[in-house]
Amino acid sequence: MLSKRGTLKKSFLSLSAVFLLGSAAVSPATAQQRTEIQMWMGLTGQAGELLTKYTSEFNASQTEYRVVTSFKGQYPEQRAAAVAAYRAGAPPHIMQMFDAGSGDMTAAKGAIIPVSEVFKKANLQFNPADFIPPARAYYSLPNGDMLSMPFNVSTAVMFYNKDIFKKAGLDAEKPPTTWPEVIKAAKTIREKNASACGFTTTWLAWIMLEQHGARHNIALGDKNNGKDGSGASLDLNNKANQRMVQTLVDMQKDKSFDYGGRSNDAAAKFISGECGILMQSSGGLGAIARDAKFQFGVGQLPYWPDMVTAGKPYATTIGGASLWVFNAPNRTANEYRGVAQFFNYLKSTPVMTDWAKATGFLPATNAAFKSMQDEGFFTKNPGRDVPVVQLINGRQGPNTGGYRFGRWVEIRDVYHEEVEKALQGKQNAAEALHNTQRRGTALLRAFDAQNRS
Amino acid sequence: MDRKVFFPQKILPYWLLAPQLIITLVFFIWPAGQAAYMSVLQQDAFGASVQFVGLENFTALFDESDYLESMWRTAYFSIAVTTLAMAPALLLAVMADRVVRAATFYKTSLVIPYAIAPAVAGVLWLFMFNPAVGILAWVLKEWGVDWNPALNGGQAMTLVIFAAAWKQIAYNFLFFLAGLQSIPKSLLEAASIDGASNATKFWTIVLPLLSPVTFFLLVVNMVYAFFDTFSVVHAMTGGGPAKATEILVYKVYNDGVIALNLGSSSAQSVILMLIVIALTFIQFRYVEKKVHY
Repeated sequence: MLSKRGTLKKSFLSLSAVFLLGSAAVSPATAQQRTEIQMWMGLTGQAGELLTKYTSEFNASQTEYRVVTSFKGQYPEQRAAAVAAYRAGAPPHIMQMFDAGSGDMTAAKGAIIPVSEVFKKANLQFNPADFIPPARAYYSLPNGDMLSMPFNVSTAVMFYNKDIFKKAGLDAEKPPTTWPEVIKAAKTIREKNASACGFTTTWLAWIMLEQHGARHNIALGDKNNGKDGSGASLDLNNKANQRMVQTLVDMQKDKSFDYGGRSNDAAAKFISGECGILMQSSGGLGAIARDAKFQFGVGQLPYWPDMVTAGKPYATTIGGASLWVFNAPNRTANEYRGVAQFFNYLKSTPVMTDWAKATGFLPATNAAFKSMQDEGFFTKNPGRDVPVVQLINGRQGPNTGGYRFGRWVEIRDVYHEEVEKALQGKQNAAEALHNTQRRGTALLRAFDAQNRS
Repeated sequence: MDRKVFFPQKILPYWLLAPQLIITLVFFIWPAGQAAYMSVLQQDAFGASVQFVGLENFTALFDESDYLESMWRTAYFSIAVTTLAMAPALLLAVMADRVVRAATFYKTSLVIPYAIAPAVAGVLWLFMFNPAVGILAWVLKEWGVDWNPALNGGQAMTLVIFAAAWKQIAYNFLFFLAGLQSIPKSLLEAASIDGASNATKFWTIVLPLLSPVTFFLLVVNMVYAFFDTFSVVHAMTGGGPAKATEILVYKVYNDGVIALNLGSSSAQSVILMLIVIALTFIQFRYVEKKVHY
C-alpha cells in the first residue's frame, strides 16, 4: 500500500517536472508577455468576422498587447453577462453596446470610463470632432467629452421592390418620399394586388418612434432629450406619434401595412416579395442585396410635410452600436493604453473605410467619410448615398442628435407591446401611446430611484 | 440466507452521499438562496447601490395586472402543453404496442424528436410557420387563414404550445410504451375471452394499470411546461406579440436579463419556485391516492 502510494507520488513528481521543463522551454519563444485586452462584441456573421479580422491585424501590428474578441450573445444578453462579470470584479475591457443601452451605461457611474478619459489616461490624443456630427452628438456628454466610441453606425432608410412597383403601375425610379405618398403607393399595391402587403417595418420603436422623432425634430422627452442627466420625463403621447401609430393601425386593416415583428424579422417579408416597401436599417442592405430575387431601390425615410417647417424634413438619427470601456479595481494604466491604441487602430481611415464598404454601415469618422466621398464610392454605388444624404448632410435640429434615457431597452418593448395591442384592434393609437407614456414613466422613475446614491 | 451487509465505518456513508449533496447545494440550494436574498433587495444593474426593501418587490408584482395575467396565461399554457403532450403520446404508444411488423422502426422514429434541443424545436416550427417563407404558413394562407403570429396573439400562443408539446411527445411515448409492455398479457387475454371489446379493455384494464406512469408523466410534464419551455418561447416569439406568450418563466428572464431588474426578477423566481413546490406537493398528496400501484 505504502509503496504504491510512493510510486504514485514519484510519477506525479516526474510528470510535473516534465511540465515545468516544457513551459521553461517554451517561454523564451514567446518573447515578452503581452497584455491581454478583452473585448466582447454583439455582432455575428460577416460583420463579426470582419471585426475579429481587424483585431488580429492589430495584434500583428505591435507586440505589447493582444486583443481577444468574444461573442457573448446578442446585445441584451451580452450586457447581462458583462454586468455579472463587472460585479464579480472581472469585466471585459471593451464592450460593444447598442444604441438603446446608452442611457443605462451612462448612469453606471464607476462601472464605465468615458472614452475621452481613457485616452487621457493613456496619454494619447483624442478629438471628438474626428467623428461625424450625428455620432458625436449621440455619444457625448453635454461638456463635449465622448462616453463611448462610435463604431458601427447606421440609420433607417426605405427599401422598395421595383418589380412590385411596376406591377402596380407605380414609377419604379421615383420612390415615394413623404408618408402621404407612401400610403398612396401602398394602397395602390394592394388595390392592384401587386403583392400581399404594401409596406412593413423592422425595429418598430427605433424607426417609428425614435427615427420618426428626429425626422420631424420632435423630442422624446425633456432635459435635452434626456441627455442632460437623470430626472427627465417622457413626452411620447403627442399628436405626431399618435398620427404615426394610427396610420399603421388603419393600414393594417387592408394589409397596406403588415406588421412583421419587433426586430429584424420583417425584412424576410420584403425579401420574399410579400411586401412592396420596407423601412429598415441602412445596415440591412447587405442581406437584401444578397437574397432578394428582384430589382430594388433605396429611398429616404418618409416624413410628414405638414409637420416640418418649410416642408423640409430633418435628418434622421443614428443607430448601431458603440464601444464602451469598463472600469475595474485592478485595471492598470497600461491596459487603458492598450485599449486606446486599439481604438486608434479601429478608427483609422483604412479600417473605417474598409468596414463601411463591406458591411453597409456608415463611416463613423469624418476622415473615412471624406476618403470614401473623394473616391466616389457613394456615387458609384447607388443606394449607398441615401443614408449619407439623410443623416450626415441632413438638416440638423435640437432633437436630431439622439436621446438618452435609462431603461430605454424596456421602454422600447413597452412601446412594441402597446402598439401591437393597437394593431390587434384592442385599443387606438392615443390609448397605446398613453399607456406607453404611463408605463415608460414608471420605468424611468424606478431607474432614477435605483441610481440615486 | 438473510445475511446483512454491514460497514463499520461511520464516515463512509457521508462520503458516498457527498457528491450528490454537493451538487444539490451548489447548483440548487445556493442559487435558490441567492434568489430569495435578492428578492428583498432593490439594486441597480451594476450593484453600485443596494438597499433592503422588504417585500416591496413582491407587492409591486401583485399591483401590476401584467403579472396576474401572466399567471393565468401560464396556467392555460401548462395545461394545454401537458394535455397535448400526453394524449397523443398515449395514442401513439397504444398503436406502436400493437404493431408487429417493423415495430422498432416506428418506435425509433417516434423517439427521435426527444433528441432535439427545445430551442432547435422552436426554430424548426418557426421556419415551417414563418408567414413570409414557411411552407405550412403557405398552406394555411392557401386555405384562407390570415396567418401572422407576429401580430395575432392567439396564433402565436397556439404555435408555442404545439412546438413545446411536440417536443415532449417522444418522451411521454417512451414511458407509456414501457408501461404498456409491462401490463400482463394474461389479463388482456382473460378479458378477450370474456368478450370485452378493445375499447373496454383499454378503459378498464390498460388505463388503470398505466396510472403510475401517467401520474409520473403528469408531474414531469407540468414542470417541463413551467420551466423548460423557456427556450421554445425565446426562439419563437420572444414573449410577444403584446405579451401574448409571456409565461412566468419568460417574464423572469425578460425582467432579469433584458431589463436587469434583479429585485423583481428574483421575487418572480421565488414565486415560481413556490408554485412548482405546491403543484408537486398537491400532485403527490392528492392525485397519487387515486393511483393504483
